[in-house]
Amino acid sequence: MTGDSLLSVQNLCVDLNTSAGSTAILRDISFEIATRQIVGVIGASGSGKTVLARALASWLSPPLGISAGRILFQGRDLVADAGLAKRLSGREIAYVGGNPAGALDPTMTVGTQIVEKLRAVRPGISVTDARKRAIELLSAVRIPAAHQRFHEYPFQYSGGMMQRAMIVDALISDPALLIADNITQPLDVTIAAQILKLLRELANEFDTGVLFVCSSLPVACDASDRVMVLHGGQVVEQQPPAALVQRPRHAYTQGLIAELPRLWDETTPAPMHGDARQPIMSVRGVSRSYSVRKPGGLGKVQVQAVRQVDFDVYAGDNFGVVGESGCGKSSLMRLLTGLEQPDSGEVLFEGTNVSTSSSAELRRLRRRFQLVLQDPYGSLPPQSTIGAILEEPLKIHRIGSARERRARAAEVMNEVGLPPSLYHELPMGLSAGQRQRVNVARAMILEPRLLIMDETLSALDQTEQGKMLSLFERLQAQHGFTYIFISHDLAMVRRVCSRIAVMYLGETVEVAPNRKLFFDPAHPYSRALLSAAPTLEQRRYRPEECLLEGEPPSPIDLPPGCSFANRCPHAFDRCRLESPRLRSSGEGALSACFLHQPSSQRATTAELLR
Amino acid sequence: MFIMVFLAKRLAQGTLIVVLVAFVIFTLLRVVPGDPVRLMAGGMAPETLIEQIATEMGLRDPIPVQFGRYIASVAQGDLGQSFMRPASGAAVGGASFDDMTRSERARVLDLIAEAAPKTLQLALLAMVFALIVAVPIGVAGGLHPGRWPDRMALYLGSVFVSLPNFWLGIVLALLLSVKLGWLPAIGYRGFAYTVLPAIVLAVEMAPFIIRTLTVSVAQIMRQSFIDIARIRGLSRLQIIVRHALKNASVPLLNLLGVQFSMLLGGVLVVEFIFDYPGLGLLTINAVLQRDFPLIQGIAIVTSAAFVLINIAVDLATTAIDPRLEY
Repeated sequence: MTGDSLLSVQNLCVDLNTSAGSTAILRDISFEIATRQIVGVIGASGSGKTVLARALASWLSPPLGISAGRILFQGRDLVADAGLAKRLSGREIAYVGGNPAGALDPTMTVGTQIVEKLRAVRPGISVTDARKRAIELLSAVRIPAAHQRFHEYPFQYSGGMMQRAMIVDALISDPALLIADNITQPLDVTIAAQILKLLRELANEFDTGVLFVCSSLPVACDASDRVMVLHGGQVVEQQPPAALVQRPRHAYTQGLIAELPRLWDETTPAPMHGDARQPIMSVRGVSRSYSVRKPGGLGKVQVQAVRQVDFDVYAGDNFGVVGESGCGKSSLMRLLTGLEQPDSGEVLFEGTNVSTSSSAELRRLRRRFQLVLQDPYGSLPPQSTIGAILEEPLKIHRIGSARERRARAAEVMNEVGLPPSLYHELPMGLSAGQRQRVNVARAMILEPRLLIMDETLSALDQTEQGKMLSLFERLQAQHGFTYIFISHDLAMVRRVCSRIAVMYLGETVEVAPNRKLFFDPAHPYSRALLSAAPTLEQRRYRPEECLLEGEPPSPIDLPPGCSFANRCPHAFDRCRLESPRLRSSGEGALSACFLHQPSSQRATTAELLR
Repeated sequence: MFIMVFLAKRLAQGTLIVVLVAFVIFTLLRVVPGDPVRLMAGGMAPETLIEQIATEMGLRDPIPVQFGRYIASVAQGDLGQSFMRPASGAAVGGASFDDMTRSERARVLDLIAEAAPKTLQLALLAMVFALIVAVPIGVAGGLHPGRWPDRMALYLGSVFVSLPNFWLGIVLALLLSVKLGWLPAIGYRGFAYTVLPAIVLAVEMAPFIIRTLTVSVAQIMRQSFIDIARIRGLSRLQIIVRHALKNASVPLLNLLGVQFSMLLGGVLVVEFIFDYPGLGLLTINAVLQRDFPLIQGIAIVTSAAFVLINIAVDLATTAIDPRLEY
C-alpha cells in the first residue's frame, strides 16, 4: 500500500428500505484508498457500484440508507457525523458522474459555474483568483483555448470536453478524494483513453486518491492500481490488475474474464458467410449534407454528414460499420433505409435504387430490409402490448387474417426467446435485453432479407450482448439473413462481421475484411481506434504511437485535404492539400490514405479537379 | 451583432403583422351591416345628404382604395379622426347632422393616447398583484411536489380560476367600496380607482402563473444538474435562487408576455363593470357607434404592442437561456 490511508471503509452496509421491509444492496464492504492511489470498482449492472460511489459522496437519499459500518475519511467517521460529510462533499470529497451532458446549468457559462462552486466551498477566494485558477485547470485538462472556452455555455461543449470540465470542477477545490463514477462510459474510445491518461496524471499531480467505478473490466484494469470486484453487493475480491487478470480467485471474475471478447486472438475465426459475388446492397458514392442555421448569425451553413461512402454488402454476410460518435453512422443508416435521399450517389438494394424509389415502392422494398434501433426504451410505443407491436408491420402490409397474424407473432416471439406470456403485456416491465428482442422480432416478422442493426447491442451489458449475438447467428442460419451492424464496439464487430467499413467524419476511410482490419489496418485512424479499444490483451498498436490528441474537426468547417490530417501522426504536405480516395491496400481491402498509395496514382489530382 | 439582426428581422415581421391586422379589420368593418354615416347624421337625415357625406368621406370608394389611402396616412402617424366623438367631449349624433361643430371631431390618436396609459397602469398593477400572490405559492408548490404546498397551489389555483370576473368585480365593489368605503370603484379620478379592477384581474391571472411556476420549478428540480450541484458543494439556497428559479423563469416570462398582451388589448368586461376609461371601454363604445377610424386605430396600436411585447419577451428569454437564440 502506497502512502497513508486516506479513506477506509469498514463493513459498510446499505439497505433499500421499503414498506415491504429492507433489502441489502451492499453488504460488508471494506477497503482502503491511499493518497495518489486509483482503486477501480467493477461489477455487472445491479451489483451496487453506483450505490457505493454515492454512499461515499454522501449522496444516498431514501429509500436507500446506510445501515451499518464506518466510512473513515482521514480518520473521521462520515457515517456518524452527517454534518461533517455534508461540509466535505464538493470540497474534500469530489464526485464526477457518467453523464456530463446534464451536469451543469444550461443557462450559465461553464466558467461561471466552476467559479461559483469553488467560491461556495472555499469562501475566502476572490472572484479574480477563482477565475484564474479555473482557466489554469481547464488548460491543464487540455481544453483548447481555455480562456475562451471559459465563457462558453455547456451546450457548446462536446461530450468529451464537458467531461473534462466536470473533472476540473471536481478538482478545483483540491479534494483529497475523487469519486469517478463511470466517467468514460458515454465517451468514444479515443476520447475515453485521453481522459484515463489525464486522470492518472492528475492523481499524481494533485495528491488525490481516486475511486474509479466502471463497468468494463479492461478499462478498470487500464486505469487503476487495484481493482475491486463487486458482485451481488459484496466485494468478492480485490487485487492489482495484472494479478487479477492472471489469477482471478472468484468464479464471477473468472467468468467475466473468460467471456471477454478478444480482438487479436489468432484462434478467433474470421467469420465468413454468404456468397461474396452477389451484393444484396450496394452503396455507390453516397453523400448527404444538411443545411443548418449558422450559430448566432444570419445565413445557413452546410454540415457534410456523409461524404462519398462506397461499399457492397453481400447476401448472407455480416457487414460492420464502425466509427465514433458524429462520424455519420446514423445519417448513413437513414440513407440506407430510404428514410432520406442522398444528395448524390445511389443505394441499391437487390438492384433497385432505394434513393429514387417512390414511397409505394419503398414500402414494398421495406418488407425485405428492416431496421433495429439503438434505444431499447424509446423505440417501443409504451401504450401498445407486445402482441400489438409485433403484429403492426403485418397489418401495415396487409398480411394474413387476425388469427394468422397472432400465430405469426407467437412464432417470432418463440424464435427470439420471449415467453408467450408477454403477448398481452405492455413494454413497461421489460428489461433492456427483452426490449431489444421485441425490436428484433418486430423487424423479422416480415421475413426480411437484410437487417440493419443500428447500435442494437450497445445498451446491453456484456452477458446479454453475448446471448443476443448467438440469437442473431441462429436466426441467420435458419433464415439466411444478411446483417449490417452499425456500431462503435470493435470487439463485437471483430466477433461477428466478415467485412468492416471504418468511418471518420462522414467518409469511409477503410473497408477491409475482418482479419486484415484487425491485424494489418492500412489507415492511421483504424490503428488509432484499435489502440484505444478497451482490452486486456497485448495491444498490437500502442496508444503512445497511435493515439490521437484533440477531437475531430467540426463537419461544418472541413479543412481542405484529408479530414484526418489534423490528428494524424503520419500526415505530410500532400494530405493537407488533396483528399485521398479509397484505393486497394491489398488482401481485398480498400483504404483512403496516401501512405499506401504509390505516387504514380497522382492522376487522382486531375480526377479531383474534374 | 446578433441582437441587431434579430431586431431588424423581428421588427420587419411585426410591421407586416400590423398591416395585415389593419387590413382584415378594415375590410371586415366595411362588409358588416351598419352604415356609420347613418349613425353619424342621425335617423332623420335625408338619404341624399347621407350619400353626399359618405362620398365626401370617401366611404363609397372601393375598399382597397380606401385602405391604401388609410394606410398611407397611418404611415405618416395620422390615425384619422373619429366619426362620432367631438374634440370637446360630448358625443355627436342624433339630430345634430347640421351642427356646425361636427368638423371638430376628435383625433383618434388623442383618444387612444388618453386611454392607453390608464390601461397600461391597470395592466401593470394587475400583474404586480398577481406576481406577489402567485410567485411564492407557485415556487413553494414546485419545491415540494406532492406535499401540502403543492396541493395548496393546486386548490388555490382551482378556486381562483373558477371565479367569474364580472361576479368578483361586483362583489368586491359591494364589499370594499359600498360597505367598507376603502376604495373607490366607478370611473377614474386618480390612482386609487385602479386598485379594485387590478385585484379582479390579478385573481384571474394568478392561477396560470401558479400552475406554470409549480410545473416548471418541479421539473427543473428533477434535472440532474440540480442534484449534482449539491454534491459539488453548493448550498440549497444557492441552488434554488441561482439555478432553479433562473431556469424556471423562461416559461413564466412567456406566459407573462401573453397575459400582458391580452391585458393591453383591453380588458373589456372589467373596464366596463368599473366604467374604467381605458382601451377596453373605448373599444366597446367605438364598436357600438360603428366608429371605424377609432376601431382601426385601436387595432393597430394594440397589435403593434403585441409585436413589441413578443420581441421583448424573446430577447429576455434568450438572455436567460442562450440555447434559445434563434
